Amino acid sequence: MSDDPQQTPRAKDGRAPDVFHEGGWIPMREYRETDEVDFVLVGTGAGGGTLACRLAEAGFSVVALDAGPYWRPLEDFASDEVEQNKLYWTDERICDGENPLQLGSNNSGKSVGGSTVHFAMVSLRFRPEWFKARSLLGYGADWPLDWREMWHYYREVEQALKIAGPVTYPWGPKRPRYPYRPHEVNAAGLVLAKGAEALGIDWVPTPLATLSAPRGNSPPCVYRGFCTIGCSTNAKQSALITWIPRAIRAGAEIRDLAMVGRVETDRDGGRVTGVRYQREGRWRFQRARNVVVAGYAIETPRLLLNSATDRWPDGLANSSGLVGKNLMVQANQAVWGTMDEEIRWYKGPPSLALTEHWNYEDDGKDFFGGYAIMSQGPLPALWASTQAIDRDLWGEALIQEMQKYNHQVGLKIVGEMLPQERNRVTLADETDQYGLPIARVTYSWCDNDHRLIDHALRSMTQAMQAVGARELWEQRNDTCHLNGTARMGDDPRSSVVDADCRSWDIPNLWICDGSVFPTVGGVNPSLTIQAIACRTGDRIKALAARGEL
Amino acid sequence: MPEGRLDRYPGYDVLRKRDTPSWNDVTRRVIDARLAISDRPRFLSETDWATLQAICERVVPQPPDRPAIPVAALVDDKLCRDDGDGYRNAKLPRLREAWQRGLRAIDAEARVAHGTGFVALDGDAQDALLRAAKQGDLRHPAWEGMPSDVFFDARLLRDIVHAYYSHPTAWSEIGFGGPASPRGYVRMDFDRRDRWEAVEAKGGDEAEVRRRNQRVG
Amino acid sequence: MDSAPNGERVGPGSGAAGLPLPERPARIDSDRSRDARRSAIAVAGLGIAALGLLAIVGRALQRSSPSTAMAGKRLSSSGARPEAEDAPDEERRPTVAAARRLNRAAGILAFSVLADSGLEHYRGAFKNRAMFVAPVVSALTLAISAHGLADARPIVHRLRHVVYALAGLTGLGGTALHVYNIRKRPGGFSWLNLFYGAPLGAPGAIALAGLLGYAGEWVRGIPAGPGADLFGLPAGRMLAGLTSGGLLAVTGEVWLLHFRGAFQNPAMFAPVILPPASAILLANAAVRAKGMDRWLTRRALRATALLGFAGTGFHAYGISRQMGGWRNWSQNILSGPPLPAPPSFTGLALAGLAALGLMEDHPDA
Ligand SMILES: Cc1cc2nc3c(=O)[nH]c(=O)nc-3n(C[C@H](O)[C@H](O)[C@H](O)COP(=O)(O)OP(=O)(O)OC[C@H]3O[C@@H](n4cnc5c(N)ncnc54)[C@H](O)[C@@H]3O)c2cc1C
Ligand code: SF4
Repeated sequence: MSDDPQQTPRAKDGRAPDVFHEGGWIPMREYRETDEVDFVLVGTGAGGGTLACRLAEAGFSVVALDAGPYWRPLEDFASDEVEQNKLYWTDERICDGENPLQLGSNNSGKSVGGSTVHFAMVSLRFRPEWFKARSLLGYGADWPLDWREMWHYYREVEQALKIAGPVTYPWGPKRPRYPYRPHEVNAAGLVLAKGAEALGIDWVPTPLATLSAPRGNSPPCVYRGFCTIGCSTNAKQSALITWIPRAIRAGAEIRDLAMVGRVETDRDGGRVTGVRYQREGRWRFQRARNVVVAGYAIETPRLLLNSATDRWPDGLANSSGLVGKNLMVQANQAVWGTMDEEIRWYKGPPSLALTEHWNYEDDGKDFFGGYAIMSQGPLPALWASTQAIDRDLWGEALIQEMQKYNHQVGLKIVGEMLPQERNRVTLADETDQYGLPIARVTYSWCDNDHRLIDHALRSMTQAMQAVGARELWEQRNDTCHLNGTARMGDDPRSSVVDADCRSWDIPNLWICDGSVFPTVGGVNPSLTIQAIACRTGDRIKALAARGEL
Repeated sequence: MPEGRLDRYPGYDVLRKRDTPSWNDVTRRVIDARLAISDRPRFLSETDWATLQAICERVVPQPPDRPAIPVAALVDDKLCRDDGDGYRNAKLPRLREAWQRGLRAIDAEARVAHGTGFVALDGDAQDALLRAAKQGDLRHPAWEGMPSDVFFDARLLRDIVHAYYSHPTAWSEIGFGGPASPRGYVRMDFDRRDRWEAVEAKGGDEAEVRRRNQRVG
Repeated sequence: MDSAPNGERVGPGSGAAGLPLPERPARIDSDRSRDARRSAIAVAGLGIAALGLLAIVGRALQRSSPSTAMAGKRLSSSGARPEAEDAPDEERRPTVAAARRLNRAAGILAFSVLADSGLEHYRGAFKNRAMFVAPVVSALTLAISAHGLADARPIVHRLRHVVYALAGLTGLGGTALHVYNIRKRPGGFSWLNLFYGAPLGAPGAIALAGLLGYAGEWVRGIPAGPGADLFGLPAGRMLAGLTSGGLLAVTGEVWLLHFRGAFQNPAMFAPVILPPASAILLANAAVRAKGMDRWLTRRALRATALLGFAGTGFHAYGISRQMGGWRNWSQNILSGPPLPAPPSFTGLALAGLAALGLMEDHPDA
């Protein structure tokens, strides 16, 4: 039997990998496929992993499936950009539109733990007004959630992940102290700090989901800087090492290398009955009373669309016609430059300092939305190809420029892009290795997106000039994160799920991941995804208690 | 040929850290395997391989005074493993198909313009042709509708540059610390290095820096 | 390209504070690797320190054994003139006993500072030449304390006096430099810089070592009998107050660093509870009427002294919990909890015990 976690499932036979010990195992409860479990979840990332834990801890029987492998970071993660490509969703997808997206390593993971296995750990709360973007700020759509309630769930997630953040936070309403203290800021982050101070705006050490002190089996961060290709230290508080072990302890079953191809419905299409999935080369069916789709903003709509039936010819949960629409990435533009000092930005998590100034300051903006600016530390291969493609540098010029690697610095934004129905996920004619139609992802920036980007590039250029960075250049063509495509709302005609992430059309079909965002805001999304998942867990418990499941 | 290329990190060899706590077993395995890749095609045909090698020499030229990074072989290895990115521009075919078509098209363009294959052109002519590809100006039927600029950015540049900078020799060249697990770093301020990081030459101190770099580990 | 002054270059010179210090590192052949040189210095320094500490602790354990007195003498001869001659009866004089206890306390503190500043300044790559001052002065202080401990005469020793004064000044100067370092970082006096900038409280420890040793020299010179006073104040009470303040100051520093570590292990609360408790008891003893029962104070101080050593044990465990554990020592010794820091509590607690002893031996002191 192969020991390769990409070939042979590990979570089987009553045990799952112990992520904290090389070759280790922990006991895991198993369900039969004929058991009608309370919940089957598709995807175990920020949304699915969190919800699986919350549901199992609430006493429900839970099976969570993930198409990806079940890693033990200590033994499986190399310090190598090429090798770690194995963390990403590398099945084919087609990108078009005026601004075709770059996916793969740029935003989607395929592992137990989902994209949190390779995310950069930036853990920010939404600005409260964003939950009512339409009525308070005049753009996008309102969320059916109240920020005060979300504040409570943010707190819960921050505690669960022992977020290391600043002692006081200068923006927005008061928030409780982060459970762990901030990390030391590297030179790349200090450049941001100095730039912000020169512009007279606040900055903070970034609240990060990586430990600044030991916790249980996790040692603190060693500042090795390979975060976006997987943390072999286990300092990163990914779903893989936080929610998932908790879920298993509470009785959930995780099935790795289990690709769900279809959510099945009963004869009249009124309820879902379980999921059809492939594992170890065979198609199988897991019965369930409820199905939660948590495959992230591309795979979630793809699965719903691929599950079309006679009753639901446009795909499940799609009576509004909005499944797959309003895909939102975030602007990810940068200004790069060179300093006299040695920076060596490969040390430490990539974004150790940030400013949310332009998320909270609305004066002087000619656009809707906001953005956060973060310090950067790209690894060599990524950095070289960025310079080659975006600066048209190759040949001797590229080699020479790369010699400045240890002196280069950059600021990058995570910026809000507006929801547009034309930005969407549809099904292509091609099929993947499972014979399932693949996703076609169409994306075009709108005028507001362009204006936000121009504004951000101006402020980052000012900051970089203020700290004496030379040879500045702008990277315009980059985006990050995926959201939307199954938005939540108050009205079945203009949203796919309600505030509890329950689909309007089919009462036992739920969607709980980045797809449910009506707007994206100017911060990285995963803290919000996890907060929503915690809330959904509580709501399901409450509904079940009232017999309303 | 790159003459007088500035060597900022004389004497630094990231491989010297291989047996220190900076490398874990899986990293050693992976890098050993990469270093063992021989400079031979396993996926591409001989002609395509020759064209790819010539292109690599233009995109990431290498100095004669050290063993060359087998860039073309690393790209070929990616093709062999069909190690896709997880997405592709709708104007491109899949990974392998894109490369095969692109290499043949570039060679065909050379034959049309100069009457000889890409490999036989001099460096300037090769560069000019590549620049034309980057501009999207190449339209030979061999492209079969694939835009040369999209191919150039999304495949040719990305894959070649990625391959070069995934090799330890390139890491040494730019003073990158290389693999770092279980041991990471301690000193993160401006102008600070841990003793397991490369020493940068500031001009005039190369001999001393070389000695110090030979002790990095 | 980088024209920034290369602070790493070490020329022959004096301490940046303008003190004529014997900077041994400055004379080392510039051709050899600075890294190796620094490691060698660090190892040598730690070795000497460990020896000194052994001598001091050894003496503490078997005060009358001649062999340990020898050890102390041998050591002292490296740091100062071998002046300590035979101990006459006067060794039994309470002031001398107290003085020697204070020497011991100062020595332990100095050891802690030597190892800690050596490590931390090594981490800071000795970027600034002034960063050599702390380890050098604390090494001197350590040596001179060993000397004082071995010396049983009731005579104030000039060189010891000077070195202790120097330690005090170094502490002041160091604090000023650390304040400067923090202020010039982005964010200035922010939590972040208090956590990761030059530690504000650290130089205070060398100042305390100096102060304790200095006080020891004074006490030593006080004639026997009632009314032993220091600067016109009762010596025992004065010392108790000083030590109490020192304990509180060090607790402040420990609190800051354990807060940085989010008190992730409950044991991290011990050094922010026990030492201040003994500090308060000690302060109380200092102001209270004579003759009160001080057994609780003494217990608390003894426990604090032990805690100092236990702390090093905890920190060693802490290092093992870092990634790679002890195998990755080259990183973890720097990024894990500081091994040499906790014994500063031992030093202070011993000083507190000395003060108590003085108060009891000199009931009206
Ligand atoms: C390089 C990078 C850096 C990032 N940095 C940050 C950051 O600093 N802060 C932040 O907040 N966010 C960051 N993100 C984004 C963040 O990781 C995602 O927003 C978040 O993980 C999304 O959560 P999710 O639950 O929606 O999906 P995911 O976490 O992606 O989980 C989806 C899971 O579902 C599985 N799946 C999908 N379809 C199927 C199917 N049909 N059958 C079985 N399984 C399926 C997938 O394998 C995957 O494991 C980053 C992302 C990347 C790529
Ligand atoms: S820098 Fe920290 S979080 Fe990132 S990979 Fe290293 S140990 Fe993990």
